[in-house]
Amino acid sequence: MTRRTYLIKRVLQAIFSLWIIATLLFFLFRMGLPDPTAALITEGLNPEQRAAVRAQFGLEEPLWRQYTLFLTNAVQGEFGTSFSYRAPVADIVWDRLANTMILMLVAIVIAYGIGVPLGAWLSWRRGSRTDTAGIFVGLMFRSAPMFWTGMIAILIFGVGLSILPTSGMRTLPYDATGFWPKVLTLDFLWHAVLPVMIVALYYLGSPLLIMRNTMLEVYGEDFIEMARAKGLPERDILYRHAARNALLPVVTQLAVTIGLAAGGQVVVEVVFSWPGLGREILNAVRTSDFPLAQASFLVMAAFVISLNLLVDILYTTLDPRVSFR
Amino acid sequence: MQKQALRLGVAMAATLSVAGPALAQERVPAVEIYTTTESYDPIRYESAFMIADAWRELGLDVTITPLEFRTLLDRFYSEQDFDAVILGWSGRVDRLDPQFFLGTLDSRQGSPGANNPGGYDNPAYDALFDAQSREFDIEARRDIVHEMQDLYMPDVPVVVLFHRDEVVAYNNTTFENMNPMAGEGLYSEWVPMEARPLGDRATLRIGGPQEPDNLNPLASTSVWGWKWMRLYYDRLVRLSPEVEPVPWMATEVEAVDDVTIDVTLREGLTWHDGEALTAEDVAFTFDYYMASDYSYFNSYLDPIDTVEVTGDLSVRFTLREPSAPFATITLSQIPILPRHIWEGIENPETLTPDQIPTVGSGPFVHDRYDRGEFMALTTNRDHFHQDEIAVDGVEFLIYADAEGVFTALQTGQIDMTAWRMEPGQIPLAEGNGDLNVVSVPDFGYFHFTFNTRRAPFDDVAVRRALTMAMDRERMVNVLLDGRGEVGTTVVAPVNAFWHNPFVERFEFDLEAARAELEAAGYSWDSDGRLQR
Repeated sequence: MTRRTYLIKRVLQAIFSLWIIATLLFFLFRMGLPDPTAALITEGLNPEQRAAVRAQFGLEEPLWRQYTLFLTNAVQGEFGTSFSYRAPVADIVWDRLANTMILMLVAIVIAYGIGVPLGAWLSWRRGSRTDTAGIFVGLMFRSAPMFWTGMIAILIFGVGLSILPTSGMRTLPYDATGFWPKVLTLDFLWHAVLPVMIVALYYLGSPLLIMRNTMLEVYGEDFIEMARAKGLPERDILYRHAARNALLPVVTQLAVTIGLAAGGQVVVEVVFSWPGLGREILNAVRTSDFPLAQASFLVMAAFVISLNLLVDILYTTLDPRVSFR
Repeated sequence: MQKQALRLGVAMAATLSVAGPALAQERVPAVEIYTTTESYDPIRYESAFMIADAWRELGLDVTITPLEFRTLLDRFYSEQDFDAVILGWSGRVDRLDPQFFLGTLDSRQGSPGANNPGGYDNPAYDALFDAQSREFDIEARRDIVHEMQDLYMPDVPVVVLFHRDEVVAYNNTTFENMNPMAGEGLYSEWVPMEARPLGDRATLRIGGPQEPDNLNPLASTSVWGWKWMRLYYDRLVRLSPEVEPVPWMATEVEAVDDVTIDVTLREGLTWHDGEALTAEDVAFTFDYYMASDYSYFNSYLDPIDTVEVTGDLSVRFTLREPSAPFATITLSQIPILPRHIWEGIENPETLTPDQIPTVGSGPFVHDRYDRGEFMALTTNRDHFHQDEIAVDGVEFLIYADAEGVFTALQTGQIDMTAWRMEPGQIPLAEGNGDLNVVSVPDFGYFHFTFNTRRAPFDDVAVRRALTMAMDRERMVNVLLDGRGEVGTTVVAPVNAFWHNPFVERFEFDLEAARAELEAAGYSWDSDGRLQR
């Protein structure tokens, strides 16, 4: 198989998966979630009035028609209008996705920026107390639920010391309307400190442990022996030779993490009242906002699928052992 | 269907096994109580278990099925497929007029989707309901309203379990003169107009875990949308904290006869964009709402036949039939919209957030709304009431949950909570010297509704006995921590003018419950199971 046919095949597979997911989402929400107008009953709307609202939402159309409409629109990047917000779903999703991604990406960069070298270093000092302590800390934050670590952080830095804001991404008054003007302010940075710290600590464990363990495997390889025999300094062997070869699993993990990040860490977004996609998804499902829920989940799925695709493609260049078979 | 068949099967099996030679009696069918999930509302969830325990003591076979909230609503209202349900009505200020709550027992509201899913059907009650709704004399209307409560109570189609106090808090170092209102807590339309700043910051900051669905006055169907919009859209009449109609944009509301009401506007009213506000705007608003697909206000607008401009500042409403709640409810709930802006808008419900006009004439001016983050208003210095307003603006900070709101209150990011606090937060707030905790009785209620169309709840005696087997005192003490009141009629005690205190009460008394059942011909088999 040539590289080109391999690529085409993978892309087609990705599109096929997306279609399956879109279909599942469409039917799952309509069957699994209650009528979006159910909540209007408590507001005193009678059945005819609710039917009128359902018609406004396009829910009185036959299901297959709703489905084909949803698919043809989705292909054009058009996701309809949110039932409760009465705003184009695409706008809401992109806006929320950006908020989520800025939080997650910064946290991931920090986690991997620290985790990878730290993992390498721990492997070098394997068996020592530092190693044990490092593994312990990494595992602890990986297993501690983020709502808990988040609340402890709020209690200490927000309520106790009152040096850091505990919620949202900015304070009133502000002028910024666009994404970058909003994000490139000290106020935003200030608000991001706690949530970024919590997410980064949570993510830290993976690169740390993966790096450490892969390094240990690499140490046993012949080329390390060779390097030692050549009399290279231990530091060079560690970072130049061993670390480079141990990076591959970390890259895979990184891509998967970024892919899953699109959905945000709902828990963190709730604890810190961060206006991200995760919180929005929760609301959309709660209110049976089908268009918004569909689009949000589809975007998440698209992220995971395309990042997996990207990794597969990258591997063909990064790792000569991967062949097109 | 399946469930019913199953139930029938169980009943038959029971009959077969129990039926001894002397016993012609049948086991009372098993009943299922629908309630909320524990995570949605632990109080209603726990109530169901307390009730079921006592009912089992009476020999009834009871199961409890917690349902996701909207599924529960659907099952109760739309499908009417239930034995008994625990749900609630929120105490919106317009529901202080007895019309709405009394209507939940009107047999004509018994169709699927309407407000009487229990199917209570009492022609005498329905007749009184019509009579009170047409009665303009407030004392005479009160007598009818009292009679209705007295009439339905012995039938107990619905049990008002309890009224939960709304417990909110504010920061006493930043603002004073914060007066709560029944059913509204601190987030009433009056608090922003009455609050007095104590520090440098004169902007009142409110924090809440809920936000509007949208701020489109022709699409919003949530109370959170209207609680905010009412601050920048004005009304002809506002309801005072004591829930009396206060002339607002209108200086006079005069009933010419039963079906003709003349409203005179205040002079010199202006829109936030500087245009003059006239009778044309008022007539336009009502016509516009009546012609729209927006059904949220339909119950308020239903009585209106025509609205005509009779002068620069006067409007005449002609009603289809006399309507007592018109002056209090309709005139105090419909926001007046600027004609010069809305006139050209054909399908207002399709406006996107940035297209929605925000020009009103209220005491505050819309400033910004960033979904999931903030809403902000500035004080309208051209408003006729502005001399009384001490704040220079109002901000609403949106949090993801009650925990975030409380942290914000503790750290001084907000001055007051828009929504009730979690039970665990109340003692913390009480222990904090900077915070004042305010407890307001609610006229909304949690109710236990019997399906009066289904056995065994089609039998009044069963409903009465089972009501006596509900320890509501204990529910209030244990589940609400004493912060609430045991329910009586659908018109709450706090709504003192309309509430009838002299109705039959059903105290918790299992012996009396047994006696009630026995008197109606029920008995117990050798295993103590209820039969008839």
